[in-house]
Amino acid sequence: MNRYLEISGLTKCYRMIRALDDVNLSLERGCVLALLGPNGAGKSTLFSCILGLTTPTRGTVSLEGRTPTDADRASFGYVAERVSLYSQRTVAENAAFFARLRGQTVSEVKTQLKRVGLSRASNRRVCQLSKGMLQRLGLAIALCGQPKFLVLDEPFNGLDPALLDGLQSILREEHQRGATLLISTHTMSAVEPLATHAAILLNGKLAAFATLEALRAQHESADSLETIYHRIARERQPMPEVLV
Amino acid sequence: MGSSVVSTRAQSRFQLAASQLQLIATKEFGDRFRSGWVFACVLVWLGAIGLTSFLGLLQIGHIGVQGYERTVISLLNLVQYLVPLLGLLLGFDLIVNEREEGTLRFVLAQGVGRSQLLFGKFLGGCLTLTVPLVLGFAIAGTVIGVAAKDNSIAPFLRLAVSGLVLGIIFLSVGLMISTFCRTRVQALVFALLTWCVMVFVFDLVALGVIVSTESRTAAQEIEVLCDTTHVNAAADIHSEFDNASERKSETAVVAEGTSIGWLALNPVDLFRAVNLSQQLELRTSAPIIFSVVTVWLTIALGLSFWKLRRTDL
Repeated sequence: MNRYLEISGLTKCYRMIRALDDVNLSLERGCVLALLGPNGAGKSTLFSCILGLTTPTRGTVSLEGRTPTDADRASFGYVAERVSLYSQRTVAENAAFFARLRGQTVSEVKTQLKRVGLSRASNRRVCQLSKGMLQRLGLAIALCGQPKFLVLDEPFNGLDPALLDGLQSILREEHQRGATLLISTHTMSAVEPLATHAAILLNGKLAAFATLEALRAQHESADSLETIYHRIARERQPMPEVLV
Repeated sequence: MGSSVVSTRAQSRFQLAASQLQLIATKEFGDRFRSGWVFACVLVWLGAIGLTSFLGLLQIGHIGVQGYERTVISLLNLVQYLVPLLGLLLGFDLIVNEREEGTLRFVLAQGVGRSQLLFGKFLGGCLTLTVPLVLGFAIAGTVIGVAAKDNSIAPFLRLAVSGLVLGIIFLSVGLMISTFCRTRVQALVFALLTWCVMVFVFDLVALGVIVSTESRTAAQEIEVLCDTTHVNAAADIHSEFDNASERKSETAVVAEGTSIGWLALNPVDLFRAVNLSQQLELRTSAPIIFSVVTVWLTIALGLSFWKLRRTDL
Protein backbone atom coordinates (compact mmCIF):
# COMPACT_ATOMS: atom_id res chain seq x y z
CA MET A 1 0.00 0.00 0.00
CA ASN A 2 1.24 3.50 -0.81
CA ARG A 3 1.92 5.18 2.53
CA TYR A 4 2.04 8.96 2.82
CA LEU A 5 3.75 9.19 6.21
CA GLU A 6 5.92 6.35 7.47
CA ILE A 7 7.62 6.40 10.86
CA SER A 8 9.91 3.43 11.52
CA GLY A 9 11.65 2.56 14.76
CA LEU A 10 11.75 6.19 15.88
CA THR A 11 13.70 6.56 19.10
CA LYS A 12 14.84 9.74 20.79
CA CYS A 13 16.96 9.76 23.91
CA TYR A 14 17.86 12.82 25.95
CA ARG A 15 20.77 11.56 28.04
CA MET A 16 19.09 9.03 30.39
CA ILE A 17 15.54 9.77 29.28
CA ARG A 18 13.99 7.86 26.40
CA ALA A 19 11.41 10.34 25.10
CA LEU A 20 10.46 8.10 22.16
CA ASP A 21 10.99 4.37 22.14
CA ASP A 22 10.81 2.50 18.84
CA VAL A 23 7.70 4.22 17.49
CA ASN A 24 6.31 2.76 14.27
CA LEU A 25 3.29 4.12 12.48
CA SER A 26 2.16 4.85 8.97
CA LEU A 27 -0.61 6.93 7.48
CA GLU A 28 -2.23 7.23 4.10
CA ARG A 29 -2.84 10.55 2.43
CA GLY A 30 -5.89 12.41 3.67
CA CYS A 31 -6.06 10.74 7.10
CA VAL A 32 -6.56 12.59 10.37
CA LEU A 33 -4.49 11.14 13.19
CA ALA A 34 -5.36 11.99 16.78
CA LEU A 35 -2.20 11.61 18.83
CA LEU A 36 -3.13 11.05 22.47
CA GLY A 37 -1.11 10.63 25.61
CA PRO A 38 -0.41 12.17 29.00
CA ASN A 39 1.98 15.09 29.48
CA GLY A 40 5.54 13.99 28.82
CA ALA A 41 4.49 10.97 26.77
CA GLY A 42 6.55 12.13 23.78
CA LYS A 43 3.89 13.70 21.53
CA SER A 44 5.75 16.97 21.00
CA THR A 45 9.05 15.10 20.54
CA LEU A 46 7.42 13.00 17.83
CA PHE A 47 6.22 16.17 16.10
CA SER A 48 9.67 17.72 16.47
CA CYS A 49 11.22 14.71 14.73
CA ILE A 50 8.68 14.94 11.89
CA LEU A 51 9.32 18.66 11.50
CA GLY A 52 13.11 18.26 11.54
CA LEU A 53 13.49 20.26 14.75
CA THR A 54 14.97 17.32 16.61
CA THR A 55 17.35 14.70 15.30
CA PRO A 56 16.17 11.18 16.20
CA THR A 57 18.61 8.93 18.02
CA ARG A 58 17.43 6.05 15.83
CA GLY A 59 14.76 5.43 13.25
CA THR A 60 13.42 7.32 10.27
CA VAL A 61 10.58 9.56 9.21
CA SER A 62 9.63 9.45 5.56
CA LEU A 63 7.03 11.33 3.61
CA GLU A 64 5.91 9.96 0.25
CA GLY A 65 8.71 7.42 0.44
CA ARG A 66 11.62 9.75 1.19
CA THR A 67 13.11 11.75 4.06
CA PRO A 68 11.55 15.21 4.00
CA THR A 69 13.93 18.08 3.18
CA ASP A 70 13.71 21.67 4.39
CA ALA A 71 12.00 22.58 1.12
CA ASP A 72 9.43 19.81 1.70
CA ARG A 73 8.80 21.14 5.17
CA ALA A 74 8.04 24.56 3.72
CA SER A 75 4.86 23.00 2.38
CA PHE A 76 3.81 21.75 5.85
CA GLY A 77 1.52 23.69 8.12
CA TYR A 78 2.46 23.72 11.80
CA VAL A 79 0.56 25.05 14.79
CA ALA A 80 2.67 24.99 17.95
CA GLU A 81 1.33 24.23 21.42
CA ARG A 82 2.55 27.64 22.55
CA VAL A 83 2.40 29.98 19.58
CA SER A 84 5.57 32.10 19.80
CA LEU A 85 5.72 35.04 17.43
CA TYR A 86 7.51 38.39 17.31
CA SER A 87 5.63 40.24 20.03
CA GLN A 88 6.53 43.78 18.91
CA ARG A 89 5.42 43.18 15.34
CA THR A 90 1.84 43.34 14.16
CA VAL A 91 -0.42 40.43 13.25
CA ALA A 92 -0.07 41.21 9.54
CA GLU A 93 3.72 41.55 9.73
CA ASN A 94 4.12 38.27 11.60
CA ALA A 95 1.78 36.42 9.27
CA ALA A 96 3.48 37.87 6.18
CA PHE A 97 6.97 37.05 7.47
CA PHE A 98 6.24 33.42 8.31
CA ALA A 99 4.14 32.82 5.22
CA ARG A 100 6.81 34.32 2.96
CA LEU A 101 9.39 32.04 4.58
CA ARG A 102 7.29 29.24 3.11
CA GLY A 103 7.12 30.93 -0.27
CA GLN A 104 3.56 32.19 0.12
CA THR A 105 2.19 35.53 -1.02
CA VAL A 106 0.81 38.39 1.08
CA SER A 107 -2.63 38.03 -0.56
CA GLU A 108 -2.74 34.42 0.67
CA VAL A 109 -1.94 35.70 4.17
CA LYS A 110 -4.87 38.14 3.99
CA THR A 111 -7.19 35.35 2.87
CA GLN A 112 -6.20 33.13 5.78
CA LEU A 113 -6.38 35.96 8.33
CA LYS A 114 -9.93 36.62 7.14
CA ARG A 115 -10.71 32.92 7.35
CA VAL A 116 -9.72 32.72 11.02
CA GLY A 117 -11.44 36.03 11.80
CA LEU A 118 -8.34 38.14 12.38
CA SER A 119 -8.50 40.54 9.43
CA ARG A 120 -9.67 43.42 11.62
CA ALA A 121 -6.88 42.82 14.10
CA SER A 122 -4.15 42.76 11.46
CA ASN A 123 -2.60 46.03 12.66
CA ARG A 124 -2.51 45.03 16.31
CA ARG A 125 0.76 44.05 17.89
CA VAL A 126 1.07 40.41 18.80
CA CYS A 127 1.79 41.29 22.45
CA GLN A 128 -1.73 42.76 22.63
CA LEU A 129 -3.46 39.56 21.51
CA SER A 130 -5.40 37.17 23.73
CA LYS A 131 -4.41 33.50 23.83
CA GLY A 132 -7.29 32.58 21.53
CA MET A 133 -6.32 35.23 19.00
CA LEU A 134 -2.71 34.09 19.11
CA GLN A 135 -3.85 30.54 18.47
CA ARG A 136 -5.89 31.73 15.50
CA LEU A 137 -2.92 33.66 14.13
CA GLY A 138 -0.80 30.52 14.41
CA LEU A 139 -3.48 28.63 12.53
CA ALA A 140 -3.71 31.30 9.81
CA ILE A 141 0.05 31.07 9.24
CA ALA A 142 -0.15 27.27 9.11
CA LEU A 143 -3.01 27.35 6.60
CA CYS A 144 -1.21 29.62 4.11
CA GLY A 145 -0.67 27.93 0.77
CA GLN A 146 -3.13 25.08 1.33
CA PRO A 147 -0.63 22.69 2.95
CA LYS A 148 -0.90 19.00 2.14
CA PHE A 149 0.29 18.11 5.61
CA LEU A 150 -0.82 19.87 8.81
CA VAL A 151 0.78 19.24 12.20
CA LEU A 152 -1.17 20.66 15.14
CA ASP A 153 0.25 20.42 18.64
CA GLU A 154 -2.50 20.84 21.25
CA PRO A 155 -4.54 23.21 19.07
CA PHE A 156 -7.67 23.06 21.25
CA ASN A 157 -5.97 24.14 24.50
CA GLY A 158 -7.56 27.15 26.16
CA LEU A 159 -10.13 27.86 23.44
CA ASP A 160 -13.65 28.96 24.35
CA PRO A 161 -16.54 26.89 22.87
CA ALA A 162 -17.11 29.28 19.95
CA LEU A 163 -13.44 29.27 18.94
CA LEU A 164 -13.28 25.51 19.39
CA ASP A 165 -16.23 25.10 17.06
CA GLY A 166 -14.64 27.46 14.52
CA LEU A 167 -11.34 25.58 14.65
CA GLN A 168 -13.09 22.24 14.20
CA SER A 169 -14.91 23.44 11.10
CA ILE A 170 -11.68 24.81 9.59
CA LEU A 171 -9.91 21.50 10.24
CA ARG A 172 -12.87 19.65 8.73
CA GLU A 173 -12.59 21.80 5.59
CA GLU A 174 -8.87 21.06 5.39
CA HIS A 175 -9.55 17.35 5.71
CA GLN A 176 -12.20 17.52 2.98
CA ARG A 177 -9.69 19.36 0.78
CA GLY A 178 -7.47 16.28 1.08
CA ALA A 179 -4.89 17.42 3.62
CA THR A 180 -3.33 14.93 6.03
CA LEU A 181 -3.67 16.08 9.63
CA LEU A 182 -1.70 15.14 12.74
CA ILE A 183 -3.36 16.49 15.87
CA SER A 184 -2.04 15.97 19.38
CA THR A 185 -4.51 16.82 22.11
CA HIS A 186 -5.87 16.16 25.57
CA THR A 187 -9.30 17.40 24.43
CA MET A 188 -10.43 14.09 22.98
CA SER A 189 -14.03 15.13 22.53
CA ALA A 190 -12.85 17.89 20.17
CA VAL A 191 -10.72 15.65 17.97
CA GLU A 192 -13.08 12.63 17.89
CA PRO A 193 -15.45 14.02 15.23
CA LEU A 194 -12.48 14.74 12.94
CA ALA A 195 -10.12 11.81 13.47
CA THR A 196 -9.88 8.79 11.16
CA HIS A 197 -7.02 7.24 13.17
CA ALA A 198 -5.85 7.41 16.77
CA ALA A 199 -2.45 6.72 18.31
CA ILE A 200 -1.76 6.53 22.03
CA LEU A 201 1.72 7.28 23.33
CA LEU A 202 2.63 6.23 26.86
CA ASN A 203 6.12 6.89 28.21
CA GLY A 204 7.46 7.25 24.69
CA LYS A 205 6.04 3.93 23.51
CA LEU A 206 3.20 3.52 21.09
CA ALA A 207 0.52 1.78 23.17
CA ALA A 208 -2.10 1.73 20.43
CA PHE A 209 -2.43 2.75 16.81
CA ALA A 210 -5.43 1.96 14.66
CA THR A 211 -8.35 3.46 12.81
CA LEU A 212 -11.08 4.86 15.02
CA GLU A 213 -13.44 2.12 13.80
CA ALA A 214 -10.98 -0.61 14.74
CA LEU A 215 -10.46 0.87 18.20
CA ARG A 216 -14.21 1.12 18.74
CA ALA A 217 -14.60 -2.50 17.61
CA GLN A 218 -11.90 -3.63 20.06
CA HIS A 219 -13.54 -1.75 22.93
CA GLU A 220 -17.21 -2.38 22.25
CA SER A 221 -18.55 -1.08 25.52
CA ALA A 222 -16.61 2.20 25.24
CA ASP A 223 -18.84 5.10 24.27
CA SER A 224 -16.09 7.56 23.32
CA LEU A 225 -12.46 7.94 22.33
CA GLU A 226 -11.77 9.26 25.80
CA THR A 227 -13.04 6.04 27.42
CA ILE A 228 -10.92 3.96 25.04
CA TYR A 229 -7.89 6.07 25.85
CA HIS A 230 -8.38 5.74 29.61
CA ARG A 231 -8.80 1.96 29.35
CA ILE A 232 -5.61 1.53 27.36
CA ALA A 233 -3.71 3.95 29.58
CA ARG A 234 -4.85 2.16 32.74
CA GLU A 235 -3.92 -1.26 31.32
CA ARG A 236 -0.45 -0.17 30.25
CA GLN A 237 0.38 2.40 32.87
CA PRO A 238 -1.60 2.16 36.13
CA MET A 239 -0.02 5.32 37.59
CA PRO A 240 1.76 7.69 35.20
CA GLU A 241 5.41 8.16 36.07
CA VAL A 242 6.73 11.68 36.09
CA LEU A 243 9.76 12.02 33.84
CA VAL A 244 12.59 13.84 35.59
CA MET B 1 11.93 15.14 -19.24
CA GLY B 2 12.81 13.63 -15.87
CA SER B 3 16.02 15.66 -15.54
CA SER B 4 14.21 18.89 -16.42
CA VAL B 5 11.68 18.24 -13.64
CA VAL B 6 14.53 17.62 -11.20
CA SER B 7 16.36 20.78 -12.28
CA THR B 8 13.16 22.87 -12.00
CA ARG B 9 12.61 21.48 -8.51
CA ALA B 10 16.21 22.22 -7.55
CA GLN B 11 15.86 25.74 -8.95
CA SER B 12 12.70 26.42 -6.98
CA ARG B 13 14.36 25.06 -3.82
CA PHE B 14 17.31 27.36 -4.38
CA GLN B 15 14.98 30.31 -4.93
CA LEU B 16 13.09 29.50 -1.74
CA ALA B 17 16.34 29.18 0.24
CA ALA B 18 17.62 32.49 -1.17
CA SER B 19 14.36 34.22 -0.36
CA GLN B 20 14.41 32.82 3.20
CA LEU B 21 17.97 34.10 3.64
CA GLN B 22 16.97 37.54 2.39
CA LEU B 23 13.83 37.65 4.56
CA ILE B 24 15.74 36.76 7.73
CA ALA B 25 18.50 39.27 6.99
CA THR B 26 16.11 42.13 6.21
CA LYS B 27 13.98 41.34 9.26
CA GLU B 28 17.05 41.43 11.47
CA PHE B 29 18.08 44.80 10.06
CA GLY B 30 14.48 46.07 10.25
CA ASP B 31 14.22 45.11 13.93
CA ARG B 32 17.46 46.94 14.78
CA PHE B 33 16.37 49.93 12.74
CA ARG B 34 13.06 50.14 14.59
CA SER B 35 14.77 49.79 17.94
CA GLY B 36 16.85 52.89 17.18
CA TRP B 37 20.15 50.98 17.16
CA VAL B 38 21.09 52.10 13.63
CA PHE B 39 20.30 55.77 14.30
CA ALA B 40 22.12 55.70 17.65
CA CYS B 41 25.20 54.16 16.00
CA VAL B 42 25.23 56.83 13.28
CA LEU B 43 25.21 59.48 16.01
CA VAL B 44 27.95 57.68 17.93
CA TRP B 45 30.20 57.55 14.87
CA LEU B 46 29.51 61.14 13.90
CA GLY B 47 30.19 62.31 17.44
CA ALA B 48 33.27 60.14 17.85
CA ILE B 49 34.89 61.16 14.56
CA GLY B 50 33.91 64.83 14.88
CA LEU B 51 35.15 65.18 18.44
CA THR B 52 38.39 63.28 17.93
CA SER B 53 39.14 65.32 14.84
CA PHE B 54 38.43 68.58 16.70
CA LEU B 55 39.87 67.74 20.10
CA GLY B 56 42.25 64.90 19.27
CA LEU B 57 45.38 67.01 19.69
CA LEU B 58 44.34 68.53 22.99
CA GLN B 59 47.06 66.43 24.69
CA ILE B 60 49.80 68.27 22.79
CA GLY B 61 48.18 71.66 23.01
CA HIS B 62 46.37 71.94 19.66
CA ILE B 63 42.65 72.43 19.09
CA GLY B 64 40.62 72.47 15.84
CA VAL B 65 39.67 70.16 12.99
CA GLN B 66 42.64 67.99 11.97
CA GLY B 67 43.36 66.31 8.67
CA TYR B 68 42.56 62.69 7.90
CA GLU B 69 45.84 61.16 9.05
CA ARG B 70 45.85 62.82 12.46
CA THR B 71 42.14 62.06 12.90
CA VAL B 72 42.87 58.40 12.21
CA ILE B 73 45.59 58.32 14.86
CA SER B 74 43.30 59.97 17.41
CA LEU B 75 40.39 57.73 16.47
CA LEU B 76 42.29 54.45 16.50
CA ASN B 77 41.95 53.68 20.21
CA LEU B 78 38.25 54.47 20.21
CA VAL B 79 37.56 52.33 17.14
CA GLN B 80 39.51 49.36 18.48
CA TYR B 81 37.50 49.44 21.71
CA LEU B 82 34.12 50.36 20.30
CA VAL B 83 33.87 48.28 17.11
CA PRO B 84 34.53 44.86 18.72
CA LEU B 85 32.05 45.76 21.46
CA LEU B 86 29.40 46.76 18.91
CA GLY B 87 30.01 43.57 16.92
CA LEU B 88 29.70 41.39 20.01
CA LEU B 89 26.62 43.25 21.28
CA LEU B 90 24.98 42.81 17.89
CA GLY B 91 25.84 39.15 17.63
CA PHE B 92 25.40 37.77 21.14
CA ASP B 93 21.59 37.55 21.07
CA LEU B 94 20.95 36.75 17.41
CA ILE B 95 20.13 33.10 18.05
CA VAL B 96 19.75 32.78 21.82
CA ASN B 97 17.07 35.48 21.95
CA GLU B 98 14.92 33.64 19.41
CA ARG B 99 15.53 30.43 21.30
CA GLU B 100 14.41 31.96 24.59
CA GLU B 101 11.34 33.55 23.00
CA GLY B 102 10.40 30.28 21.28
CA THR B 103 10.41 31.84 17.79
CA LEU B 104 13.47 29.84 16.69
CA ARG B 105 11.43 26.65 16.75
CA PHE B 106 8.63 28.25 14.78
CA VAL B 107 10.98 29.76 12.17
CA LEU B 108 12.72 26.42 11.59
CA ALA B 109 9.35 24.65 11.42
CA GLN B 110 8.55 26.75 8.33
CA GLY B 111 11.11 24.76 6.34
CA VAL B 112 13.97 27.18 6.93
CA GLY B 113 17.32 25.39 6.85
CA ARG B 114 19.67 26.02 9.73
CA SER B 115 22.29 27.38 7.34
CA GLN B 116 19.81 29.88 5.91
CA LEU B 117 18.86 30.96 9.42
CA LEU B 118 22.46 31.36 10.53
CA PHE B 119 23.71 33.20 7.44
CA GLY B 120 20.53 35.27 7.26
CA LYS B 121 21.13 36.40 10.83
CA PHE B 122 24.79 37.02 10.08
CA LEU B 123 24.01 39.08 6.97
CA GLY B 124 21.38 41.05 8.88
CA GLY B 125 23.97 41.76 11.57
CA CYS B 126 26.55 42.80 8.95
CA LEU B 127 24.01 45.20 7.45
CA THR B 128 23.24 46.66 10.87
CA LEU B 129 26.94 47.18 11.48
CA THR B 130 27.76 48.51 8.02
CA VAL B 131 25.02 51.10 7.48
CA PRO B 132 25.77 53.33 10.51
CA LEU B 133 29.53 52.92 10.17
CA VAL B 134 29.50 53.86 6.48
CA LEU B 135 27.09 56.75 7.08
CA GLY B 136 29.08 58.02 10.07
CA PHE B 137 32.43 57.83 8.27
CA ALA B 138 31.05 59.27 5.02
CA ILE B 139 29.40 62.30 6.64
CA ALA B 140 32.22 63.01 9.10
CA GLY B 141 34.85 62.34 6.41
CA THR B 142 33.26 64.85 4.08
CA VAL B 143 33.15 67.49 6.83
CA ILE B 144 36.82 66.88 7.77
CA GLY B 145 37.88 67.01 4.12
CA VAL B 146 36.12 70.35 3.58
CA ALA B 147 37.07 71.92 6.92
CA ALA B 148 40.73 70.81 6.95
CA LYS B 149 41.14 71.10 3.15
CA ASP B 150 42.76 67.66 3.18
CA ASN B 151 42.81 65.44 0.07
CA SER B 152 44.76 62.47 1.41
CA ILE B 153 41.76 60.38 2.40
CA ALA B 154 43.49 56.98 2.12
CA PRO B 155 44.27 56.50 5.86
CA PHE B 156 40.71 57.47 6.75
CA LEU B 157 39.27 55.01 4.22
CA ARG B 158 41.64 52.31 5.49
CA LEU B 159 40.40 52.93 9.03
CA ALA B 160 36.74 52.71 7.95
CA VAL B 161 37.20 49.51 5.93
CA SER B 162 39.44 47.78 8.49
CA GLY B 163 37.06 48.89 11.28
CA LEU B 164 34.16 47.36 9.41
CA VAL B 165 36.04 44.09 8.88
CA LEU B 166 36.98 44.08 12.57
CA GLY B 167 33.32 44.56 13.47
CA ILE B 168 32.23 41.74 11.19
CA ILE B 169 34.78 39.37 12.77
CA PHE B 170 33.44 40.19 16.24
CA LEU B 171 29.88 39.91 15.00
CA SER B 172 30.64 36.34 13.90
CA VAL B 173 32.24 35.63 17.30
CA GLY B 174 29.09 37.03 18.96
CA LEU B 175 26.95 34.83 16.75
CA MET B 176 29.01 31.82 17.79
CA ILE B 177 28.51 32.71 21.47
CA SER B 178 24.79 33.05 20.75
CA THR B 179 24.54 29.52 19.37
CA PHE B 180 26.46 27.97 22.26
CA CYS B 181 24.67 29.71 25.14
CA ARG B 182 21.31 28.72 26.59
CA THR B 183 20.24 32.13 27.91
CA ARG B 184 20.73 35.73 26.87
CA VAL B 185 22.37 36.62 30.18
CA GLN B 186 24.89 33.82 29.78
CA ALA B 187 25.60 34.97 26.22
CA LEU B 188 26.05 38.59 27.33
CA VAL B 189 28.51 37.57 30.03
CA PHE B 190 30.55 35.52 27.53
CA ALA B 191 30.44 38.35 24.99
CA LEU B 192 31.78 40.88 27.51
CA LEU B 193 34.46 38.45 28.69
CA THR B 194 35.52 37.88 25.07
CA TRP B 195 35.74 41.64 24.56
CA CYS B 196 37.91 42.08 27.65
CA VAL B 197 40.21 39.24 26.62
CA MET B 198 40.63 40.38 23.03
CA VAL B 199 40.99 44.09 23.71
CA PHE B 200 42.95 44.12 27.00
CA VAL B 201 44.09 40.76 28.35
CA PHE B 202 45.61 39.31 25.16
CA ASP B 203 48.13 42.13 24.71
CA LEU B 204 49.18 42.21 28.34
CA VAL B 205 49.65 38.43 28.44
CA ALA B 206 51.56 38.48 25.17
CA LEU B 207 53.84 41.25 26.41
CA GLY B 208 54.41 39.30 29.61
CA VAL B 209 55.35 36.22 27.59
CA ILE B 210 57.81 38.17 25.48
CA VAL B 211 59.43 39.81 28.50
CA SER B 212 59.85 36.48 30.26
CA THR B 213 61.06 34.49 27.26
CA GLU B 214 63.00 36.95 25.09
CA SER B 215 64.65 39.28 27.55
CA ARG B 216 67.47 40.19 25.19
CA THR B 217 65.29 41.71 22.54
CA ALA B 218 62.35 42.42 24.82
CA ALA B 219 63.06 46.10 25.23
CA GLN B 220 63.05 46.69 21.47
CA GLU B 221 59.97 44.58 20.90
CA ILE B 222 57.94 46.17 23.67
CA GLU B 223 58.57 49.55 22.11
CA VAL B 224 56.98 48.36 18.87
CA LEU B 225 54.26 46.37 20.56
CA CYS B 226 53.15 49.20 22.79
CA ASP B 227 52.69 51.31 19.70
CA THR B 228 50.99 48.52 17.82
CA THR B 229 48.64 47.55 20.61
CA HIS B 230 46.48 49.82 22.72
CA VAL B 231 48.98 50.11 25.56
CA ASN B 232 50.47 53.43 24.46
CA ALA B 233 48.43 56.60 24.53
CA ALA B 234 47.63 58.29 21.24
CA ALA B 235 49.76 61.25 22.33
CA ASP B 236 52.97 59.27 21.87
CA ILE B 237 51.98 58.37 18.36
CA HIS B 238 51.18 61.99 17.56
CA SER B 239 54.65 62.95 18.77
CA GLU B 240 56.09 60.24 16.56
CA PHE B 241 53.98 61.60 13.70
CA ASP B 242 55.53 65.05 14.18
CA ASN B 243 59.05 63.62 14.21
CA ALA B 244 58.44 61.05 11.51
CA SER B 245 61.40 62.03 9.37
CA GLU B 246 63.88 61.80 12.25
CA ARG B 247 62.44 58.53 13.44
CA LYS B 248 62.12 56.69 10.16
CA SER B 249 65.55 55.05 10.01
CA GLU B 250 65.35 54.02 13.66
CA THR B 251 61.94 52.31 13.44
CA ALA B 252 62.91 50.43 10.32
CA VAL B 253 65.67 48.75 12.30
CA VAL B 254 63.29 47.90 15.14
CA ALA B 255 60.77 46.40 12.79
CA GLU B 256 63.38 44.25 11.10
CA GLY B 257 64.55 42.76 14.37
CA THR B 258 61.15 41.87 15.77
CA SER B 259 59.15 38.64 15.69
CA ILE B 260 55.62 39.86 16.17
CA GLY B 261 53.76 37.15 14.26
CA TRP B 262 51.51 36.53 17.23
CA LEU B 263 49.89 39.89 16.51
CA ALA B 264 47.98 38.21 13.73
CA LEU B 265 46.24 35.97 16.25
CA ASN B 266 44.28 38.89 17.59
CA PRO B 267 42.24 40.81 15.00
CA VAL B 268 42.31 43.91 17.25
CA ASP B 269 46.10 44.07 17.06
CA LEU B 270 46.08 43.33 13.37
CA PHE B 271 43.62 46.19 12.89
CA ARG B 272 45.94 48.55 14.71
CA ALA B 273 48.97 47.34 12.83
CA VAL B 274 47.14 47.89 9.52
CA ASN B 275 46.30 51.46 10.44
CA LEU B 276 49.70 52.32 11.90
CA SER B 277 51.74 50.61 9.21
CA GLN B 278 53.18 53.91 7.93
CA GLN B 279 53.91 55.44 11.33
CA LEU B 280 55.51 52.29 12.73
CA GLU B 281 57.01 50.81 9.58
CA LEU B 282 55.15 47.59 10.24
CA ARG B 283 54.54 45.52 7.16
CA THR B 284 51.19 43.75 7.25
CA SER B 285 50.86 42.06 3.91
CA ALA B 286 47.48 41.64 2.22
CA PRO B 287 47.66 37.79 2.16
CA ILE B 288 48.24 37.73 5.95
CA ILE B 289 45.34 40.09 6.60
CA PHE B 290 43.10 38.12 4.24
CA SER B 291 44.13 34.79 5.83
CA VAL B 292 43.50 36.02 9.38
CA VAL B 293 40.08 37.43 8.49
CA THR B 294 39.14 34.24 6.63
CA VAL B 295 40.32 31.99 9.46
CA TRP B 296 38.41 33.95 12.10
CA LEU B 297 35.21 34.06 10.05
CA THR B 298 35.48 30.40 9.07
CA ILE B 299 36.06 29.22 12.63
CA ALA B 300 33.33 31.39 14.16
CA LEU B 301 30.68 30.68 11.51
CA GLY B 302 31.71 27.03 11.16
CA LEU B 303 31.40 26.37 14.89
CA SER B 304 28.09 28.25 14.97
CA PHE B 305 26.70 26.07 12.21
CA TRP B 306 28.07 22.89 13.80
CA LYS B 307 26.38 23.76 17.09
CA LEU B 308 23.11 24.92 15.56
CA ARG B 309 22.81 21.70 13.53
CA ARG B 310 23.14 19.67 16.72
CA THR B 311 20.67 21.73 18.69
CA ASP B 312 17.38 19.98 19.39
CA LEU B 313 14.44 22.31 19.71
